[in-house]
Amino acid sequence: MNELTALREAGPEAPALSPAARSAARAALLAEVAGPAPARRRRPSRRTTLRLGAAGLAVAAAWTAAVVIAAPDGPGTPASSVTLVDFTMPTFPLSFDPVPDGLRPAFGGGSDGATIAAYDDPAGQDGFTVYVGDDEPDQRPDDAAENDVSATEEVTVDGTDAELVRYSRDWCVGDAPGEDCSRRSYTWLTWQRSDDQWVTIDAYGRYAGRDRLLQIAGSLVDRPQPATLDVGLAPAGWSVRAFKAGRVLTLVNDAYEQQEVTVHIPLPEDVIPADQVRSSIMGPIGPQLDVTVHGRPAQLVLVDTGYLDQRGWYLQAQFTDGTTFVLQVPDAFTQDQVLEFAEQVTHRP
Amino acid sequence: MSGLRVHSAARRPPDPTPDPVRLQALPSALPTDTELITRSVTDPGQFTALFDRHASTVHRYLGRRVGDLADDLLSETFLIAFRRRAAYRPEHVEVRPWLLGIATHVVHGHQRAERRRYRVLAKAAGQPEEHGADPADAADRLDAQALRGPLAVALAALKPRDRDALLLLAWGDLSYEEIATVLDVPVGTVRSRLHRARRQTRTALGDASPLDVSEETR
Repeated sequence: MNELTALREAGPEAPALSPAARSAARAALLAEVAGPAPARRRRPSRRTTLRLGAAGLAVAAAWTAAVVIAAPDGPGTPASSVTLVDFTMPTFPLSFDPVPDGLRPAFGGGSDGATIAAYDDPAGQDGFTVYVGDDEPDQRPDDAAENDVSATEEVTVDGTDAELVRYSRDWCVGDAPGEDCSRRSYTWLTWQRSDDQWVTIDAYGRYAGRDRLLQIAGSLVDRPQPATLDVGLAPAGWSVRAFKAGRVLTLVNDAYEQQEVTVHIPLPEDVIPADQVRSSIMGPIGPQLDVTVHGRPAQLVLVDTGYLDQRGWYLQAQFTDGTTFVLQVPDAFTQDQVLEFAEQVTHRP
Repeated sequence: MSGLRVHSAARRPPDPTPDPVRLQALPSALPTDTELITRSVTDPGQFTALFDRHASTVHRYLGRRVGDLADDLLSETFLIAFRRRAAYRPEHVEVRPWLLGIATHVVHGHQRAERRRYRVLAKAAGQPEEHGADPADAADRLDAQALRGPLAVALAALKPRDRDALLLLAWGDLSYEEIATVLDVPVGTVRSRLHRARRQTRTALGDASPLDVSEETR
């Protein structure tokens, strides 16, 4: 018996399709076939509208993002309490030796681990992003109509065949999509570095030169790097949903996917003055509590998240270097647990 | 669908509740799946015949992955398929694998529920089963029972993309080419995903079964 036979003969069985379930699914299809019902747009409740009106934009965006991620019809029930346990963040599997120009990476990834490392200079003029995956990349520069491919070349990296593509695309820095764009040249390099590891580097600026990029690619070594934004604790039974650009980390309750913890590092211009936290966030239902995290003053507010009747804690705190971070957790955390969790949040920019 | 062919014992038995297609009366006069889906672009009601033909197959695939949640996802799968019917290209893939591909994408929104189910099944597999008195298939039953827990553990541990490819092969009976089409990846990617998924599954099964990897070649 091989593993396919095993899966077919001893794998999980399906529950029977009941006549009622079949009829319900067929009825839903027939309703769709009959034509769309009059459009129903969900309107925010008056309460939500008022809250949005009073909210600071950055904070609103953060909560909105948290709301949009989860579908409201998932199974399970929300946790009413949590147990904090030691937690190890996924690492990025590769490092550069030497590190090009001392650049510091920002990592991104999901439940499968860190798969993206962005190395950008502070001015955003030169840099490159490294992608690591199990498979050959699904998307190539010539798959996107907006990219102009100027050249492709077969090269080698550490003796392995690789593909190099030069192309240009828009680089936009405006607040809205397509705003404040300029054309920027990139060089894209991909190769199978080992049996289950494909690496792709997308470089711009002075790293986009062929020889420079190949030199960078050749300096990759198997040395895991810790995440930029790290939490030393997590609720038992929760896992990483996503982390982005070294600034945002989301944990999710595996038993109820609508329940999340989000840690993010706001841009300096989005930091709320300490005395205005309660008045700048959505749905405060408790007073602003002055607390201490990492030996520095921090602000804690109990809020109504406006989503599935969930309440949560909003904490604005600082690392020892003065960088502000924001923690949003469900009220399944006690106030003490919020602070215990926050004390273990670290950032290595 | 070429290629995917294991020995006959590996084929799953017919669905216990076959779809009530009205094929027996005038089989030669019935439209094919492709004809139905093509006609449904201008005559949407034709699409319901595809539900009648394939609902049990799609539900069984979903049910093996997500358990009772399959009832809801069956509906979601056919609603999505109906809305995308104009984009269906018969020269790329047949209707059944196309539907199973949509079902696979629908399962993506419930990956945690799927993993949770496998973990629960793995725990349950450690409990003794109650059986009837018929000893005829006792040996087979014991073999299967020994595999259930390790299989569930293995499925929970696979990366979602690898699991998709493996289960479309094992439970959906799709060929490599069909899997590539419905997942929209190169067939080489399917091969590497299946290679990895099968290797990990084999490893997880360990001593639970004397696996014969030469039994199937592609």
